[in-house]
Amino acid sequence: MKGVLPLFLGIFGTFAFSWIGLTMVPNAQIGHLDSQVNKDDENDIYPMPKSGMAERGRKIYIANGCVYCHTQQVRPEYGGADIERKWGDRRSAPRDYIFERPALLGKMRMGPDLANVGKRAPAEEASPSASPAASAPATVAASSPAPSPSAAPAAAASPAAAMNAQTTEGSAGPTVTSVNGVPLLYSTAWHHRHLYAPRTITQESTMPAYRFLYEKRQISGEPAADAIILPAANAPPEGWEIVPTYDAKCLVAYLMSLDQSHALAEVKSSAPATAAAPAKPAK
Amino acid sequence: MTPAEIPLIPPSETAAIAGNEVTRGDVEQVERALIDASTRVPVLMFYTSAILWLLAGTVLAMLTSFKMHMPDLLGGVSFLTWGRLRPAHMNAMVYGWAVNVGIGTAIWLMARLCRTTLRYPLLLVAGAAFWNLGVTIGIIAIFAGDSTGHQWLEFPPYAAVILFVAYSLIVSWAILMFRFRRSGHIYITQWYLLAAFLWFPWLYGATQIMLFVVPVQGVMQAAVTWWFANNLMFLFFGSIALGTAYYMIPKVIGRPVYSYHLAAIGFWTYALFASWTGMQRMIDGPFPAWMITASIAALILAIIPVATVGLNHHMTMQGNFPLMRYSPTLRFTVFGAIAYTVFSLLGILISLRSMARYVHFTQASIAYSHLGLYGFYTMIMFGSMYYIVPRLVGREWRYASLIKLHFWSAAYGAMLMVVMLFVGGIVQGRDLDNTALSFTESTQSILPYLRGRSISGILMTVAHFVFAFHFGLMLLGLGRTATLPTFLNPKEEDLVPH
Repeated sequence: MKGVLPLFLGIFGTFAFSWIGLTMVPNAQIGHLDSQVNKDDENDIYPMPKSGMAERGRKIYIANGCVYCHTQQVRPEYGGADIERKWGDRRSAPRDYIFERPALLGKMRMGPDLANVGKRAPAEEASPSASPAASAPATVAASSPAPSPSAAPAAAASPAAAMNAQTTEGSAGPTVTSVNGVPLLYSTAWHHRHLYAPRTITQESTMPAYRFLYEKRQISGEPAADAIILPAANAPPEGWEIVPTYDAKCLVAYLMSLDQSHALAEVKSSAPATAAAPAKPAK
Repeated sequence: MTPAEIPLIPPSETAAIAGNEVTRGDVEQVERALIDASTRVPVLMFYTSAILWLLAGTVLAMLTSFKMHMPDLLGGVSFLTWGRLRPAHMNAMVYGWAVNVGIGTAIWLMARLCRTTLRYPLLLVAGAAFWNLGVTIGIIAIFAGDSTGHQWLEFPPYAAVILFVAYSLIVSWAILMFRFRRSGHIYITQWYLLAAFLWFPWLYGATQIMLFVVPVQGVMQAAVTWWFANNLMFLFFGSIALGTAYYMIPKVIGRPVYSYHLAAIGFWTYALFASWTGMQRMIDGPFPAWMITASIAALILAIIPVATVGLNHHMTMQGNFPLMRYSPTLRFTVFGAIAYTVFSLLGILISLRSMARYVHFTQASIAYSHLGLYGFYTMIMFGSMYYIVPRLVGREWRYASLIKLHFWSAAYGAMLMVVMLFVGGIVQGRDLDNTALSFTESTQSILPYLRGRSISGILMTVAHFVFAFHFGLMLLGLGRTATLPTFLNPKEEDLVPH
């Protein structure tokens, strides 16, 4: 190679081309989005910033590396089976993430996608923005419909069993909070138990247990309302209880806040879009 | 591998042997020995810290790997949870091992090719110390739960600032060396090294600013992160590895590079196309489709530098492949050069939309990353260390058997790991795409492959500890004193090539 100048200019130029092309131009295109406001209903704004607890929960999520196994993005129908798996009614769009810092898109699915995990919660616990019409408990369409009522409580419960249990009991009304000792799928109590002892909910789960987010303490007086209900094999000794720490509560608050079900003008949804009742239960 | 290439005798003795008839070869040998001596302290410091990080990263990798199929192993302690071990492993390997060893090799190559001694080497030592301080703080922060959540950029800004300052110290010295070069001709290796030196601060600085100082909005953070990750892999590690291979292969076999013209095409197309990759990692994600398509196209076009570089190395090696039987450097370097080709092809394969449907979000991407950072980059770096360390410590590697053990366990480990994770990823992705199966079945189906990966990890652990032991012997001056380098199969009589 002759001369240093062409070398330096080339090194500079090629990289500038990439920097401008892959970061500056897209930033001009999608880097300054605003929330979508419904023309007919000015209170219908999406997305909204998360609450303080959920924001703190995001930090717990990051600190413990949840992002290395869980994605938070729904691919379009042509890109994969995400929508078919009921992980969302529509693909994720840049606007869904405008308040996310960082945007925890993830790129590994050793665990299921969480983009809409808050949406999948039983209706009475769904986010406050949920329409009152959605008072019936959300039923989850389990892909393998064979019910297994004989499943031993919790210890041998598989996801299918948990799903089916809930599906079967779904019509019993909003008072049901647990089935055979297993809290309703994706409810707050379910998340706490799942985080504390994942294999009491799904035997084959490879998720680590986050016991350090929970506190084992002696029961003084009444047992705490949020103490985790565990099967006998995992339960604390008599007179003791397992309660979530503030961090655990924040983490679950964050999970419950994950919801991309609101319709977006720029994205086609597979669900019948009704702008007035966007927070429709998962079908 | 010609004897002239082995300046092991101290310069004073060389001069004495030469007596009155000082030939041009002798002068050059003395010059090389002086240059090597000037780089001794900083390069050995980079190498030593790199190897310590390699061992730490290996232990973390083993824990990470075993915990994937034994989730209750060492559970219940916050800093040993899988989600902290994994980024700690990755950052220890990338910023601890890979950057340290790359800078060590690059400085030595730069000094040799610029034919200039390293001025004020102690300032580089300070740079190395700061760099390692930054990495240590960053890793502790990850264990303490202070990760930023950006993959490949988990170090919090306070660690990143230290890294940036340390890097600036280091790179200024490399550029100064280039400024004071005594050879008018700029060799191919120098193109790659200069480019890597200049690209890194821009890449790292721009990314840190766009993520933490003036943060971009939402998904743009992910775009910047993956732009960074891929460019770090290609433009920094890839450039250093390719530059090293361009030096080591001709040097060891003792003949010039086949074609400068091909090398120039390879270099410029690499700079142009490889820098545009990255977004294919977010295929079908919440981004404008053109970004992802542009990266896929760039990845496919990057086959041009792969082909030209591969052809160039191949033609240079032509007729000298049997030398791989003897030279550890050549063996590791050629393995790495071949892995570069496979790495690029695999990258294209998993990024094609029809294939990505099945392998996206699976372990196949881990196979891809390890093929690049280990099979390609790390193997070439091992090769360069086998060449450079004897020239720094004035001793030859003590045991050919340990080198062979290192090579074979690293090579089989890397290949087994890539096969396990890639095949496992396809199986996982196939089950993930089949909604007749529950999600749990997709993670169940990959478990046997993850166990296989742990076995490959054991092989690599053996390789690294053997190498660290051998390197330790060299540092302590326990290498062989000999005029011939350590050949891998020394009983053969045909040591002299051709």
